[in-house]
Amino acid sequence: MKPVSRIGSAGLTVYFWLFVLFLFAPLVVLLIFSVNSSPTPTLPLSGFSTHWFHEAFSNTVLTNALVRSVFIALVAAVIATALGIMASLGLMALRGRSLSLALTVLLLPLVVPYICLAVGLLILVEVLGSGPSLIAVVLGHCVIVLPFAILVIMPRLRSLDPAMNEAALDLGASSFAALRLITLPLLAPALVSSGIICFVTSFDEFAIASFLAPSGQPTYPVFLYASARTPALLPEVIAVGALIIAGSLLLVVLAEGGRRWAERRLVGLTASPEAVMSAAVSDQQAVPVAMVND
Amino acid sequence: MMRRRSGKGALVLPPLLFVVALLGVPVVFIALFSVGLRSNIPGTPVAFSLSNWSNFLTGGGGAFRSRFVYSMEVTLAVSVLTTLAAYPLAYFLSFVARHRRYALLLLLLAPFFTSYLLRVIAWQIILNNNGVANSLLWDLHLRPQGVAVSWLIYSTFSVALVLFYTWIPFVSLPIFVVLENMDHRLQEAAADLGASRMETFWRVTLPLSLPGVIAGFVFVLIPTTGEFITPLLVGGPNNQLFGNSIQAFFSATPDWNYGSVLAIALIVVVVVLTLVFGRFIQTDLRAEARAEQ
Amino acid sequence: MTAWVLDRRRFLASGAAALGGAVLLDACGSPSASHSTSPAKRPPIGKESGRLSILEWPGYEAHGTKAQTNGLLAGKHYTDKFGTSGITYTYITNDDQALEKATASGPFDLMHPCHENLPDYVSRGLVQPFDTKLIPSFSQLNPFLAKKGQINGKQYMIPWDWGYGSLTYRTDHVSAADATGWELAWNKKYSGKISLWGGASTNFEIAALKLGFPNMDNLTGSQLNAAKAALLTQKPLNKLYWDNEYTQLQPDLKSGTTWIGYSWQDTLVTLSGENVPVAFLNPSQGRLSWLCGFMLGANTKNYYHCHDYVESFINHAACAQMTNSYYYGTSNATVKPSEIKNQTLVKALKLGDPTAIAASNVHLQSWSPNRKALELAWQEVVAA
Repeated sequence: MKPVSRIGSAGLTVYFWLFVLFLFAPLVVLLIFSVNSSPTPTLPLSGFSTHWFHEAFSNTVLTNALVRSVFIALVAAVIATALGIMASLGLMALRGRSLSLALTVLLLPLVVPYICLAVGLLILVEVLGSGPSLIAVVLGHCVIVLPFAILVIMPRLRSLDPAMNEAALDLGASSFAALRLITLPLLAPALVSSGIICFVTSFDEFAIASFLAPSGQPTYPVFLYASARTPALLPEVIAVGALIIAGSLLLVVLAEGGRRWAERRLVGLTASPEAVMSAAVSDQQAVPVAMVND
Repeated sequence: MMRRRSGKGALVLPPLLFVVALLGVPVVFIALFSVGLRSNIPGTPVAFSLSNWSNFLTGGGGAFRSRFVYSMEVTLAVSVLTTLAAYPLAYFLSFVARHRRYALLLLLLAPFFTSYLLRVIAWQIILNNNGVANSLLWDLHLRPQGVAVSWLIYSTFSVALVLFYTWIPFVSLPIFVVLENMDHRLQEAAADLGASRMETFWRVTLPLSLPGVIAGFVFVLIPTTGEFITPLLVGGPNNQLFGNSIQAFFSATPDWNYGSVLAIALIVVVVVLTLVFGRFIQTDLRAEARAEQ
Repeated sequence: MTAWVLDRRRFLASGAAALGGAVLLDACGSPSASHSTSPAKRPPIGKESGRLSILEWPGYEAHGTKAQTNGLLAGKHYTDKFGTSGITYTYITNDDQALEKATASGPFDLMHPCHENLPDYVSRGLVQPFDTKLIPSFSQLNPFLAKKGQINGKQYMIPWDWGYGSLTYRTDHVSAADATGWELAWNKKYSGKISLWGGASTNFEIAALKLGFPNMDNLTGSQLNAAKAALLTQKPLNKLYWDNEYTQLQPDLKSGTTWIGYSWQDTLVTLSGENVPVAFLNPSQGRLSWLCGFMLGANTKNYYHCHDYVESFINHAACAQMTNSYYYGTSNATVKPSEIKNQTLVKALKLGDPTAIAASNVHLQSWSPNRKALELAWQEVVAA
C-alpha cells in the first residue's frame, strides 16, 4: 500500500503547486512592474516600457552601490570559503570535547541575531577608533557566512575517501601539495557552493551594512531600503530588483546543474555511492546538515 | 578508521580566533555597555551601574517589556504556522513526487535564494494602499474605487505574512531531509501489520519526522526573534518588533547603554531557546556521533 | 558528526576566551577627543581633496547637485567653482539622530544642525570654530543670531536659517473653534488624522507647552513623566510620526490622509502654493522657534573648501532666494523684507526681525541638560 492515498496525493499536489504560485507571485509582480510605464506600481497596467532600466543605470548612486556590494560580497565569499576550508580540515582532526567546543564557537554566528551582531560591531569599530568602514562590513559579513561555508564544505570533506590523500602522501607529496592537488579539486563542488552561498548572503545583507557602511558609501541593500521609502525612486528600484531576481534564479539553476555535472564526474573518486548521495543531499541543505542525520 | 593526521587540528585556530574576535568580543562589549562600564559619548564618566537593567526588567521600561512580549507572540505564531504549512510540502516532495523530488525541491527553494529585501519590497507593492491587491479589488469592482483594505498593510497581518512567506521554503528543508532519510520499509511494515494510512502517518511517520519538524521550527524561530527589517517596511508604528527598539537606540534616539541592555536580553533569549530546542535534536545526534566514533 | 552540542560549560569556555580578548582591547583602545587641524598643518586649498561629506536636512542640497530636489540657489557659487560631483549628503531626519550620526558615522566636513545641539557637538569634540575672516558675507549676518552661534567667543556655528514650528492644519476639515493651541494634537475628534514629527526633543517640548510647564527644555523628573504620559495618550490619535516632510507630511496633508501635522512654516507655503487650504496654527501657549546653521567638522581635511561652501550659502542672493522659497528667516541682515514676495507672510512670520525667535510669545528650542532621559522616555512612547 502506498503511504498516500490517491485523494491524498491529489490534495498534496494541489497544495504544493498553489504554494509554488504563492512563492513566486511577488517575484512575478516585480518583473511585471519593471516594464510598466507608470511611475506608480498599481493596476491596471499602463503599458510596456524599458525606460526605468535606463533611469536606474544612469543613477550613479545606484550603480555605485551595486558595484560596492558585488565587491564586498566577492571578498567576503573568498575569505569565508578559505577560512571554511581551514576550519573543516581542522575539525576533521579533532575529537570529542575539543571538536564540540570548536564547532560550537564556529557555528555561533548562526544563533546570534543579526541586529545584535550589527550593534556589537558598531561598538567594536567605535572602540578601535576606526568608525564605520567598508572593511568592517566585509569582516562582519565574513563572520555571518563562515558557518555556511563550514556546513557546506565539511560534509563533502568527510565523504572523500581518505585513501586518496594517504596515497598521495605515501607517494611522497607534502601535506600541502596533497591538499592542493587532491583534496581541493575533489572539494570543488562544495567550494563553489560555499562561494555562491556566501556571495549571495553578503550581497543581500542589510543589518550589518546599515550600521557599518560609511555615510555616502551605501551598499546596495542600504540604498534599496532608503529608496523603498521614496516613491519617486521606486520604479528604478523595481527595475534593478527584477534583474537581480532573474539573475538569482538563473544562478540557482546553473549552480544546481553545475553541481550535478561535477558529481557525475567525481562519482568514481569518492568512498561510495552512499557517500555521494549523502553529500549530494547535504550540499543542498547548508544549515540543516548540522541538525539532522548525516 | 582513525587515520587522521595529528597537528592538523591546529588549522581550526585561525577561523576560531576570527569568530572570537568579531563575534565574541563585540558581544562582551555590548555587555559592558549594558552595565555602564563604557559610553559612546566622549568625556562621560563611566561607572558600573545596573540601573538600566533594573529599569528594563522591573522598572519603568514596561513599554519595552510589552514590546518584547508582542514580539515573541508574533514570532511564535509565525513559527508554528510556518512549520505546519511546510510539513505537507515536504511530505509531498518525499512521498508523492518521488522521481522529480529534487527538482521540485529546488523550485520550492529558489525564491529563498533571491534577495530578502526585494521580496519584502515586492510585498509592500502588493499590499500597499494603492498597490496591486487593492487596485485589483477596485478594478474587479469588489470594493469602491479608492477605498483600501486597511489591515492589508502596516499591520500585524502584513508583518506576519511577509515573515511566513520568507521562511517557509527554508523550513520545509529539514522536514524533507528527515522524511527522505526515513526507512520507508517502516511504513510498509506498519501497513503489513494492518495499520491504515492515517494510522501509519500518525504513529510512524510523524513521530519519526519530529526531529526535522523541530529543526524547521527552530530555523524560523531563532532568526525571527531578532527580526527588524520587515516591520520597518511593512509594519505600522504599533507593529514594530523588539529588534526595532534595539535599532532605534543605536540610531534614531541614541542611548547605547540602554540599547545594549535590550541587545543582551535578546541574545540571552535566543541562546536559551537554542539550548532548549537543541536538546530535542541532540539525543539523536549524540547516538549517531558515538556510532561513528 | 556531533553538532550543536551547546553545553553550558563549553559555552562559558568560549565566553571566557572572548572576555579575555575584550579586556585586552579595552585596555588598548579608547576614543580620545579629536583635535582640530592646527593652522600650521593645514594644506592650502589647492591641496585639499574637495570631496565634502555633509550632514544635511533634505531639501538643502547645494545648487546643481544631483541630489537637489527643491531648486535652491544656495551653494551655486561653490558648485560653479568646484563642481558638484565632490559633495556627498547624509540626511538628517531629526536632531537626536543627527547628533548620533555625527558621533558614530562621521567624520563629516560640514554639519547643519540646530543651535540647541551646539553644546553637545562642541563637548563631544565633533566640531571646530570657523575662521570668519574666510567668509566674506559673515559681516552681513545679524549680530543677534551670530552671537547665538558662539561658545566662549568662538564662532562654532554660522547661523543660516531660522523659523517656527507649529501645527499645520487643513482649514476645511478642522474647525476654527478647535484650533486654539497645542492641545489640538490631543483632540480625539481628529483621531487618526494627526501626524507629529519623529523628533524626540520637539515632542517633549510640545507636551511641556500643552501641560503649561515653565521651562520646556529643562524638565524635572516628574514633569518628564507627565510629558511622557501625555505623549502616550496622544499616540493612538497619531497616524504616524513622520520623518521626511517632502515624501510623508506634505503629500499626506495634500491628499487629506492627514489633517493636522507638526511642521515648519515651509509646509504652509508649499501647500498654499498648491491651493491646499491650510493654516499655520498660532497656539495660545506660543509656537516653537528654532535657529540652525553650519558647523565645521573637527577633523575636516577640506578646511578652505568648507568655508567657501558656507559662504555660498550665506551670501545675499542665496539667502534672499531661500526665504522666498521656504519662507524661513535668514541670518543675512542685508536681505530686506521688501525683497520677499508675500508681504502678508513676512508680517505674520516677522521675517524681517530675527529677534522674533526669542520673543516672549514663542519658545526657542534650546539645549536640554537631560537629553538622555528624554530620549529613553521617547523610545518608551514609541514602543508602547
